[in-house]
Amino acid sequence: MSERGFWDDNLLELQQKYWERWSGINRRASGTEAPAQNSPWEMALEHWWQAVSPAVPEITRDFMTRMIDQGKQFFRIAELFSGNAQKQGKPADWTALCGQLVADMQSAGGSGLDTEAGDGRHNWMGFWELPFDNWQRMASTLSLLPGDPLRNMPHGGSPSDMERLFSAPGLGYSREEQAQQQKLLELFAEYRRALQEYSRFFTDIGSESVKRLRDRLGQRTHNGEVIDSARTLYDTWVETCEEVYGERVRTSEYARINGRLVNAAMGVKNHFGIMIDESLGALNMPTRREVRTLQVRVQENRREIRCLQAELEFLKGRFDDLPAARTRRGTAAAATTRKTAPRKRSSVKKPGNFSNESD
Amino acid sequence: MNPIDIPPEKLAEEMAEYSRRLGHGLENLLDAEQIDTGVTPKQTVHREDKLALHRYLGADGVKRNPVPLLIVYALVNRPYMTDIQEDRSTVRNLLTGGQDVYMIDWGYPDGADSSLTLDDYINGYIDRCVEVIRKQSGQEKINILGICQGGAFSLCYTALHQRKVKNLITMVTPVDFQTPDNVLSSWVRHIDIDLLVDTLGNVPGELLNWTFLSLKPFSLTGQKYVNMVDVLEDEARLKNFLRMEKWIFDSPDQAGECFRQFVKDFFQKNGLINGGIALGERQVDLKNITCPLLNIYAEQDHLVPPDASRALRGLTGTRDYSEVSFPGGHIGIYVSGKAQKTIPPAIARWLIERS
Repeated sequence: MSERGFWDDNLLELQQKYWERWSGINRRASGTEAPAQNSPWEMALEHWWQAVSPAVPEITRDFMTRMIDQGKQFFRIAELFSGNAQKQGKPADWTALCGQLVADMQSAGGSGLDTEAGDGRHNWMGFWELPFDNWQRMASTLSLLPGDPLRNMPHGGSPSDMERLFSAPGLGYSREEQAQQQKLLELFAEYRRALQEYSRFFTDIGSESVKRLRDRLGQRTHNGEVIDSARTLYDTWVETCEEVYGERVRTSEYARINGRLVNAAMGVKNHFGIMIDESLGALNMPTRREVRTLQVRVQENRREIRCLQAELEFLKGRFDDLPAARTRRGTAAAATTRKTAPRKRSSVKKPGNFSNESD
Repeated sequence: MNPIDIPPEKLAEEMAEYSRRLGHGLENLLDAEQIDTGVTPKQTVHREDKLALHRYLGADGVKRNPVPLLIVYALVNRPYMTDIQEDRSTVRNLLTGGQDVYMIDWGYPDGADSSLTLDDYINGYIDRCVEVIRKQSGQEKINILGICQGGAFSLCYTALHQRKVKNLITMVTPVDFQTPDNVLSSWVRHIDIDLLVDTLGNVPGELLNWTFLSLKPFSLTGQKYVNMVDVLEDEARLKNFLRMEKWIFDSPDQAGECFRQFVKDFFQKNGLINGGIALGERQVDLKNITCPLLNIYAEQDHLVPPDASRALRGLTGTRDYSEVSFPGGHIGIYVSGKAQKTIPPAIARWLIERS
C-alpha cells in the first residue's frame, strides 16, 4: 500500500493537468492558442494564409494547409542546419547538432508527444508527429469526440493507485453500473499505455533516423559531396526517415505494438457501445445489438430465398424435361395454333387467350 | 568540409519561390473544376443492392472479342482507378485491344450490408454478374480479370465455377499472404479481428487509409504535399494529382463479416496456400482451376510484394500459366504511361490468342 492515500495532491494535480490539457485542446480547436515564435518567412506565410483562407473552400483549404505545414517543415530543417549557424557567421556544426537532436529525442522518451526542446529542434521532432497525427485523424473518425481525446489525458499518476481504484468492488444498488465504469477506466488506462508504448517506439526510431542522417552526411563529407538546397536536405531527411521506419515496422515488435494500440482503442469503443446500448434499452429504444441481430437474420432470409429460387428454377427445368411435360407442351402448342389461327381473321384481340404452356 | 552548405541567399530564394508557387497555385486550385473520374462511356446492365455492373462502350469499327471480359475490382478503394482519365485508362486500352469490357462497381456498403459474407460476394454477387454477362453475350464461358483483392476473389470464383470461365487474369493479386516482405500481413496478424468487427460493424475506410498510409507515412502524408507545390502551376498535372488524391481517400467501408473472413482466412491462415477457405458449404481448391491463367504483378509493389503474387505458379490445375512483370508499383500498373502502353495490349493479345 502506498504511503499517501489516493485522494491526495497527486489526484488534484492529475485533475488540474487533465483540465489544462482539455483547455489546450479547446484553444487549439478554436484557434485561440498563442502562436509559437517562428521565422520571419513562416510568419509572413502564416499572415498571408490567414488573410486568404476564409475565402477558400474547405476542401482546398485542407490541401493548402498541408502544403503550408510541410513547407514550413522543410525550411525549418534547412534553417536548423544552416540558417541559425550562418546568422552567427560560422559554419554549422552538424555533428554536434545531430548529437543534440538525438539527446532531445531520447530525453523526450515515452512522453514523445510532449517534447519541450527549444526552437528549431522542437519543430524538427514535430516531424515525427506525422504517424501520430495520422493515427489521431483516424481515431477521431471512430470517436464521439473530436480528435483523439484519450491522447491528451494525463499519464503521470501512479499506475498502482489507479489500478487499486479500478479493482475496488462496486457496492449497493448501482453495483453493476460501477463495475461498468471501472471496466471503462481500465480500458482507458490500457489504451493510454498502448499509446505510450507506440510513442516510445517512434521516439526510438526518430533517434535512429537522426543517427542514420549523421552517417549519411558523414559519407557525403567523405565523398566531397555537398547539400546546397533546402529541398535536397528535406528529401534526404524524408528518405532517411522512411528507410529507418521501413526497417523497424517490419519487425514483430512493431506488429505487436501496433496491434496492441488498435485492440486497445477497439476495447474502449466496444465497451462504450455496450454502455450506450444499456442506456438505449432503458429508454426502450432499439439497441445496436438488436439491430445487428436483425441485420444478420435479414441476410440469412435473403440467402434462403435465393436458394429456394434457384431450386425452383432447377425443378422447373427438370419438370419441363419430363416426357409427359413435353407431350403436354406439344399438345398445347397445337391447340394454340388451332385457336390462334382464326384470330388472324379477326381485328379484335380478346384477352385471356395466353397460357404458360404457350410462352 | 561541411556536407550542408546552403547559402542564405539561396535559402531565401527557395522560400520566395515556394511562396510564389503557393500563391499562384491557390488560384489554380480554386479554378479547378469538379474532378472527373471514370471517363469511358458505359452502360449499367445490372444492379443489385449497392452493386452496379457496367458495360463499357468501345469505339465503332473495332473488332470485338466475342468472349466478354469481366473486371473484378477489390472491395478496397474504387474501381475508377482503371479508368481514371482519358490518357490513363486500362479500360479504354482494353477496348482498343478489342475486348468487350464489363466491370463490377461494388458501391459503398453501409450498416445494412454488414452481414454480407465472402460467400455472398463470390458465389452471390460475382456469380450473378457472370450469369448476366453469359446471358447477354450468349457465351457459355467468359473471361475474368481480377485486380488485387478482386484477383483473390476471382481465383476462388474460378475454382468453384470453372465451367463458366474461359480465361483468368490476375493482376497485382496476393496469393501467399505471408511472404516475409508483406508488411500489411505482419501487422494484421496481431489485430483482434473479432473485436474490431464486433465493435465497428463495418470497417471504416478511414481505418484502411490509415493502415495504407502507415506503410510510408513521411512520403505519403508529408513529402507528397511539398511535391504538389511543384505541380500547382501546371493545370493538367494539378488535375492529375487531384484525381489521385480523390481516389486515395475515396475509400468505402468494408462489410464487416466479409472483412472478418477475408482477414482471418487469407491473411492470418494464408488459406490460398494452406487451404481451408470455405465459401458457403464449398471448399476452395485452386487445383480446380484448369483454364489458361495469366498472372501480372508489379516489381515495386509495396502493398502486394511480387513474391506474394508469384506464389500462384504451380498452385492451380492449369497447364497454360503465364506471368507478366511490370517495372512499377501497385498503382502505377494502372495509371502510368508505361503501363498503358504495355499491360492492356499484353492482356488483349493473350486473350485473343485464347478466344
